[in-house]
Amino acid sequence: MLMKRLPIEGKVDFMSVRMFAFALSAVALAASVILIPMKGLNFGIDFAGGMLVEITKPEGAEIEDIRALANELELKAPNITEASGTGANAEETFVIRAALPDEDEVAADADTNADETAATDQEIDEAQRFIDALEAAYPHSDAEERDWEILRRDSVGPRVSNELLQAGITALAVSLIFMLAYIWFRFQIAFSVGAVMALLHDVILTVGVFSLLQIDFDLTTIAALLTIIGYSMNDTVVVYDRVREELRKYKKMPLKDVINLSLNKTLSRTLLTSGTTLLALISIYVLGGEVLRGFSFALIWGVVIGTYSSIFIASALLLHTGLTRDPEKLQSADEIFSKS
Amino acid sequence: MLQFPPWKVALILFVSVFGALFALPNVLNEDQRESIPSFLPSSPANLGLDLRGGVSLLLSVDAEQSVTKQLNDLLREARAKLQTTRGDNRISYTALRVEDDAVRFRLRDNSMSDRAIALMREMNQPIGGPLGAPSIEVSQVGNGEIEISFTPQRVEEIMAEATRQTVSKLGPRLDPDGLGEILVQPSGESDIIVEAPGESDPERLIRVIEQPGVLTFNLVVEDQNALNEALRTGQPRVGNIIRQSVTGETLLLEADPIIEGDMVRSSSQGFHPENNQPIVNFTFNTTGARLFGEATSQNRGRRFAILLDDAVQSAPRINSAIIQGSGFIEGSFTVESARELATVIQAGALPAQVNVESVRVVGPTLGQDSIEAGALASIIGLILVAIFMLIAYGLFGIFAVGSLIVNILLIFGALSGLGATLTLPGIAGIILTIGMAVDANVLVFERIREESRNGRKPISAIESGYQQALSTILDANITTLLAASVLYTLGSGPVKGFAVTLAIGIFTSVFTAFVLTRWFSVIWLRATRPTKLPM
Repeated sequence: MLMKRLPIEGKVDFMSVRMFAFALSAVALAASVILIPMKGLNFGIDFAGGMLVEITKPEGAEIEDIRALANELELKAPNITEASGTGANAEETFVIRAALPDEDEVAADADTNADETAATDQEIDEAQRFIDALEAAYPHSDAEERDWEILRRDSVGPRVSNELLQAGITALAVSLIFMLAYIWFRFQIAFSVGAVMALLHDVILTVGVFSLLQIDFDLTTIAALLTIIGYSMNDTVVVYDRVREELRKYKKMPLKDVINLSLNKTLSRTLLTSGTTLLALISIYVLGGEVLRGFSFALIWGVVIGTYSSIFIASALLLHTGLTRDPEKLQSADEIFSKS
Repeated sequence: MLQFPPWKVALILFVSVFGALFALPNVLNEDQRESIPSFLPSSPANLGLDLRGGVSLLLSVDAEQSVTKQLNDLLREARAKLQTTRGDNRISYTALRVEDDAVRFRLRDNSMSDRAIALMREMNQPIGGPLGAPSIEVSQVGNGEIEISFTPQRVEEIMAEATRQTVSKLGPRLDPDGLGEILVQPSGESDIIVEAPGESDPERLIRVIEQPGVLTFNLVVEDQNALNEALRTGQPRVGNIIRQSVTGETLLLEADPIIEGDMVRSSSQGFHPENNQPIVNFTFNTTGARLFGEATSQNRGRRFAILLDDAVQSAPRINSAIIQGSGFIEGSFTVESARELATVIQAGALPAQVNVESVRVVGPTLGQDSIEAGALASIIGLILVAIFMLIAYGLFGIFAVGSLIVNILLIFGALSGLGATLTLPGIAGIILTIGMAVDANVLVFERIREESRNGRKPISAIESGYQQALSTILDANITTLLAASVLYTLGSGPVKGFAVTLAIGIFTSVFTAFVLTRWFSVIWLRATRPTKLPM
């Protein structure tokens, strides 16, 4: 079999290049931290609020026509893109995004009793106003047989978007704390620190890439980030388990060599699992359509970065976080349970 | 590790067959599902709105409004209490008002403050029984100023009550025939989620939702001088109100209605007996019919106005006492709008204003496309992973792929069996599981290889491989499960669907990798008694 021909008992000296990896990560992290506030994130309407309408291309309509229509209606900050649609018989589509008008503006426009309620409704109606104009500009030849279709439309008010963003940030924070606690419980604090640093590394770099490429950052991106946390943790735990085992086996071997040995022993598993996961994700990226593109991109990036971080951040940090080689503290769960 | 007594084998087969049976309806069409015997599961997984197509709305109930309403009630109660005081105990006060979310008044005599506070505290109605948290807080603010405010618990209760009542009113409005397709459920403190699968026009739903639906019948004051006077000063006499009718007429009405919408028993769309225009028929309940009969017989010859949400729909003259307790509303209706109005009237007025916070519509084609895209991505993903595993592990790769297929069956079985909802991110979760599920297999196989290289015989290499990989597999999956549970708790809609498939996938893949693949290996070991492992 092919894998047999791959170097099975690898002798890669990961730990010697760790300073180089640290430097690389530090630069990337710094770049992300600078980039995120500077360039900002391209928040999808989940978090930014606003409207989104996706339609199949009406016959004879060019992107300029739609743009002109949006300007004519005075949509706020309209952004019109072409997309390839979803599925096997993918049709070309237009995706129209716009911000919702400010409440004050709407209130000023509305002639009578411009209370808050009227304002909210009118904001939400923005998508309807646009669709009505589209229907007028590109009438269907037949009421039954539609020439073009509305694939989806979303309108999200400012209150909801703020709440969703907060819930997303809370979810990230809570899961990081869970992971920290779990590793602390199962290993020791030194492992915990390394693991969580690796997770933070993954999350920051992923958000950084979203800022750099200005990909839509929405609810599913948060879901992707949490999955990346889960995946990266999974990878890290496998290596840590091995490190702990080898530490028990080789009591006198230098820590650096023990970590290298463990990484090499788990290397083919790491590559195989990342490989199968990436294959599955790439198939979603290519075939899953517009809606899942950002999501699967985040996951692909996350798997790559998560694999890197479990080797070069989580494991390498063990050399610097004051790991105890006290045998009492190197028991695995089975031993702890069987003793009690 | 390598012992499989008959009961274990039976259990494995039972779980796999059961999963397959539950998964089966998902690949059948409607007709085929009909023909499944009734003792077998026949329902496929629920599809989320993003796959079925439909409208999803998030509404907020203006709970502030109902708190204000309750504060006004509190003020009336406080006034009544203060006015019962007599003689030496008489508490005299000024400036009783609602201000800053509290009822306030000023004492004329500061020395009465303790007594006033004690009196006001009598209005406390502990929440959820005598031992519950207090409903109001009474305190002295500043000099001789008494403040009565609701406790946070009471405010929460008022909001929850307003939301609950709104949900119970919206249900019949949106789903008058009770087909149960439209879901209306409370979310959080004062939000309501409405999900209408198959619907593509949110405007109709929003119209029906937002209409307050307050119906009253008020007598018309037919005094042209009074009306002119009121129009000139902009201030009608006490007990009168000015309202516009839908036809543009300005009418002076008595402020107290003779009858209100909550006495309407049923309402439906019909046609005017004379001009055949669409109208809204209504029937009063017994009390309503009696009151209406009395009012019409006492006011024969006068006009009365039918007011809906403060607009006069029509103002017919009372020719004779109407005792049969029914009538109709005419106006410039279409059949459609008359039907909507009838539904709104029948369901009753909303206890508080409802605002639309977000609208999400997925067209039916996009949903179908997403399902097809998801299915295609799953199949391609599965094939790629299978090829990869075969190349990497040969025979054991076949075992792993066999487990993987059972794994997918189990995921679908669990989704259908639990009645969970499959969303588009949920499909992505399944594909991700396909990729990650082989991880447990890989962990074990790598261990087996290692043991085998260390010179162990196949049987003992396999035995020890499984033993040593167990704790790693558990650790690795528990962390992913933690992430999934956080997602489920804090996520919404489609994201929840992703968390569900991810979590189900963790359980099924640990079962299939650790139990099923092992069983396959044991069968193979027994059958061939190999001296060398083919991996």
